[in-house]
Amino acid sequence: MTHTSVSPSLDEPTRQALVGLVVQGMHRGQLSAAQQALVDAGLAMVKGPLVMPTAVGAATAAELTRLPAGGPEEAALRPLFERFLPVNHELREVCSAWQIRPDGSPNDHRDAAYDAGVRDRLDDVDAAVGRILRRMADVHPGLEHYRADLGAALAQLDEGNPSALTSPLTRSYHTVWMHLHQELLLLLGISRAEDEQLEAALVAGQKV
Amino acid sequence: MPTLAGAPSVISSLVPYGQGRGRGLGAEELGVHGEQMDRLVSLGLPTVVGITVPVSRARQLTDPALAREAVDLVEELTGRRVGSTDRPLLLRLVPSTPVAATGVPPDLPALGVCPANARALAELIGREHQLHDVWTTVLAVVAVDALDVDADDVDDVLTDTADGDRAPALLDLVARTGSAPFPDDPAEQLALAARALLHRWDSPRGRRARRAQGLPDDLGLALHVQALHVGPWERSGHGTASSRDPGTGAPRPHGTFHRGVSRRSTSGEGEPLSALPEGTDLLRHALATLENHLRAVATVTFELRDGKLALLSAAALPHPGARAGLRLAVDLATAGTIDRATAVRAVRPAAVQELLHAQLRLTGAERELARGLAASPGAASGVVALSAERALELSGDGVPVVLVSTETTPADVPALVASAAVVTSAGGLASHAAVVARGTGTPAVCGVAELCIDRDAGTVTAHGHTVREGERVTVDGRAGTVYLGELDVRPAEPSAELDTLLSWADAERTLGVRANADNAAEAEAALRLGAEGIGLCRTEHQFLGDRLPVVRRFLLAPDEDAHRLALDALTAAQQADFTALLQVTGDRPVTVRLLDAPLHEFLPHDEVYADPAHARRAAQLREVNPMLGLRGVRLALLEDDLYAAQAEALFSAWVTVAAAGTRPRLEVMVPMVSIPQELELAIGQVRRAADRVERTTGVRVPYQVGSMVETPRAALLADRLAEHADFLSFGTNDLTQMTFGFSRDDVESRLLAHYVGEGLLTASPFAEFDADGVGALVAIAVQKARAVRPDIKLGLCGEHGGDAVSVGRLAALGLDYVSCSPQRVPVARLAAAHAALQDTAEERAQDRAQDRAQAAP
Repeated sequence: MTHTSVSPSLDEPTRQALVGLVVQGMHRGQLSAAQQALVDAGLAMVKGPLVMPTAVGAATAAELTRLPAGGPEEAALRPLFERFLPVNHELREVCSAWQIRPDGSPNDHRDAAYDAGVRDRLDDVDAAVGRILRRMADVHPGLEHYRADLGAALAQLDEGNPSALTSPLTRSYHTVWMHLHQELLLLLGISRAEDEQLEAALVAGQKV
Repeated sequence: MPTLAGAPSVISSLVPYGQGRGRGLGAEELGVHGEQMDRLVSLGLPTVVGITVPVSRARQLTDPALAREAVDLVEELTGRRVGSTDRPLLLRLVPSTPVAATGVPPDLPALGVCPANARALAELIGREHQLHDVWTTVLAVVAVDALDVDADDVDDVLTDTADGDRAPALLDLVARTGSAPFPDDPAEQLALAARALLHRWDSPRGRRARRAQGLPDDLGLALHVQALHVGPWERSGHGTASSRDPGTGAPRPHGTFHRGVSRRSTSGEGEPLSALPEGTDLLRHALATLENHLRAVATVTFELRDGKLALLSAAALPHPGARAGLRLAVDLATAGTIDRATAVRAVRPAAVQELLHAQLRLTGAERELARGLAASPGAASGVVALSAERALELSGDGVPVVLVSTETTPADVPALVASAAVVTSAGGLASHAAVVARGTGTPAVCGVAELCIDRDAGTVTAHGHTVREGERVTVDGRAGTVYLGELDVRPAEPSAELDTLLSWADAERTLGVRANADNAAEAEAALRLGAEGIGLCRTEHQFLGDRLPVVRRFLLAPDEDAHRLALDALTAAQQADFTALLQVTGDRPVTVRLLDAPLHEFLPHDEVYADPAHARRAAQLREVNPMLGLRGVRLALLEDDLYAAQAEALFSAWVTVAAAGTRPRLEVMVPMVSIPQELELAIGQVRRAADRVERTTGVRVPYQVGSMVETPRAALLADRLAEHADFLSFGTNDLTQMTFGFSRDDVESRLLAHYVGEGLLTASPFAEFDADGVGALVAIAVQKARAVRPDIKLGLCGEHGGDAVSVGRLAALGLDYVSCSPQRVPVARLAAAHAALQDTAEERAQDRAQDRAQAAP
């Protein structure tokens, strides 16, 4: 991927809009003024109803977000991220179980006991990520809000909206989680590929 | 006999596994686990040693005095001593509820460990961290839930302390901040463990789980104290096994095994059962015994201590998978364990559809591009797009797209949703792409490691094949295969077991099942899937495609000659179609619906006509609402040689195939009738056609003639239709539209979803037959038609005929047959059998109730 140098002249709202867009991957709906500025600066593009970061925008956001390499924040966050990855694995398993039963048939949410079982596993995931986020927020307060955002999605789920766990198009638990994951990758400067390798190693290491 | 057997009127506080039933205790006191263990013991299966503290006595276990009795009893039953180092024993505390429930607190895996014996135990196990794992688990739970230690403090210890130091650090934390230190004595540990589990069950999380399952808030817990023989880790472990292979349904143990001391389900993959040190024979025997006993696919959890296998739980597998459930039902009925009707009832009609999931028609000549993980079932062909942007562009143009990508991110979701299939080179079954694909029902193959994607060059390469962006591939999401080029996608064939079960279903059902088939190929598929005949052959397709110009000439003909010429050409073409169809159907009934298409399908409004007379005529025929315009019989009454020509083509085709010895039972069906006289006139046209064929061929073609019932008026006047019709066929798609006043295309996507969401409707009436409204009309029609002509044949053609719920409702209305699309025929056959069996079950219940009433003084 081509790598263009950061444009240093972005004001704070534009920087926030850029990072937000990259963390979320896309934005659907009305453009904010800051997002319009991103489009004008070539950092984002409009595709039909969507706004997405351009390659330059993504690289810029990565540089803006990256914690100083070798610094104390990175050193403190990295081990917490490594604790996060196995939980991340379990979250995806829980999402799969929510969508598909063990036999491969789609989960139609008519079996309350099955759903309650998956929901219960989600509690373990939520408790685990909550503990990790508690410590992450000590290191990097910008991550604080994810606990509340996950809690809001969980509340939606418990109010009887089964799509609040995995729906890719709403602020579901999975969506918020993906954003958190993406932000962690940006903070630590880890690529998706490294991330997957690391997760596989950490998950495999657990079962010894 | 038990040494602690209590007096019959008093429930003993400690009930050894296997002795509950003898004391008159069931799951309400023993918990589901205790009851299961009773059953396993009575079946002679090997079980773990343990005792149950019944629900009404569970709280007493928090008293160290009863806990001490429990420890003594387990020691007596096993002949080992807790904490001893030569034949060591630990205890496990397991909770269970009176009814199956999820959200029950997790087991506490190892009670009896203390600083004094930890080293010796760890040496015996051979892996120190395994002992520390289970010890730490117990300490963390008991600290928070029984000794008032702050959960965040526990978490800090677990995070900041190295593996081997965690247990001592937790002991220290409890001693400093807890309400009491963590005791060394096993009985005191057990009492605290009981308190922790009961506390968890009373927590908000436990209450939420009970509420989510509709269980009483005060549902109690039985507590089970199990013996945990400690041995070398390689010869210890736990696992799960079910009695059937989920893929094929074959009877063989299927599951995984985790070596080690902890029984906690780890996130690791585990080992296959074949890795069990003592083999799978015992497991196979136990599962076979359980299948016969449970009459269901059985699942067990088991543990291995020093190589010895003991069952920890056994149950019917809640979701055995369509194939396993089917094969079990057929196996049990074949063995005589259950009767055939029971086997038929054991398989859900919807499961049959799962067994017939769309799959590829493979000839063996396909060229495989690559293989990966079967991430989301289904099959689809499409052109390769290597980026989300390209996928969106192509799909925006209506081109089916296969998105091929290394991995996906939230930014790719719109492209994933728009794609016909997804292939990723990285990522597993739980990767982002897989999760989203299953969520949207898109076939997906993930983790195709050998796939080399070069976005700059616009190519995908694997195994020496290179595919360029824009070229076609086919994805089989159930097998995990990607093929080069476009392959034929079709419904699967029934397996031998499914054929057997469906033949049993046929013996039970009274409702006939036919198929909708417009041509010979569809008819062939339908008959293979067990259709008894063709319930609807739509003739519209005979007028489309390359025959459209002929139809236009007919409709726009300026004079009688041109009209006649065009009609003759049409008749000849249709006759060939009908002949092909009737050659396939053999002697079965074939219902042919005369033309029913809105005119606009033949006369596009933007057409440029060379002949201004044509243009004028086309303008005259234009309609504002074609679906309610000049359709069906209405057109035939204006163009009075149209139906005659169709009938003549059909009858001539019959003469041709009859000469070869086949005698299909023709049923000619008139569509869109609302006025009985319309039917009468159309029947006259058909009769004249038969007469003409007889004059030309000398053969009197046997046929029946009937009417569609698609308009509410036709339903309400069914008695007057029955005066003319040999049969009536309900077209419930149109009947639903007209009864609700819904235009299906306009309401289906937005309005119906909203109505279903708000509870105004339980389902789309186009998917599930509306028993209340449309059903009332059908009931009136059935009653009126039979009053005039008791032997009149009453059927249904349309999607409802292939929907299991609808079939049940339609059977209840007393129809003779349903007709559905070929691939739904197996569903309809099974659903019809279920309807018949349910009726008889209900009748039996009614009979029993009557018997009782009569026997009463």
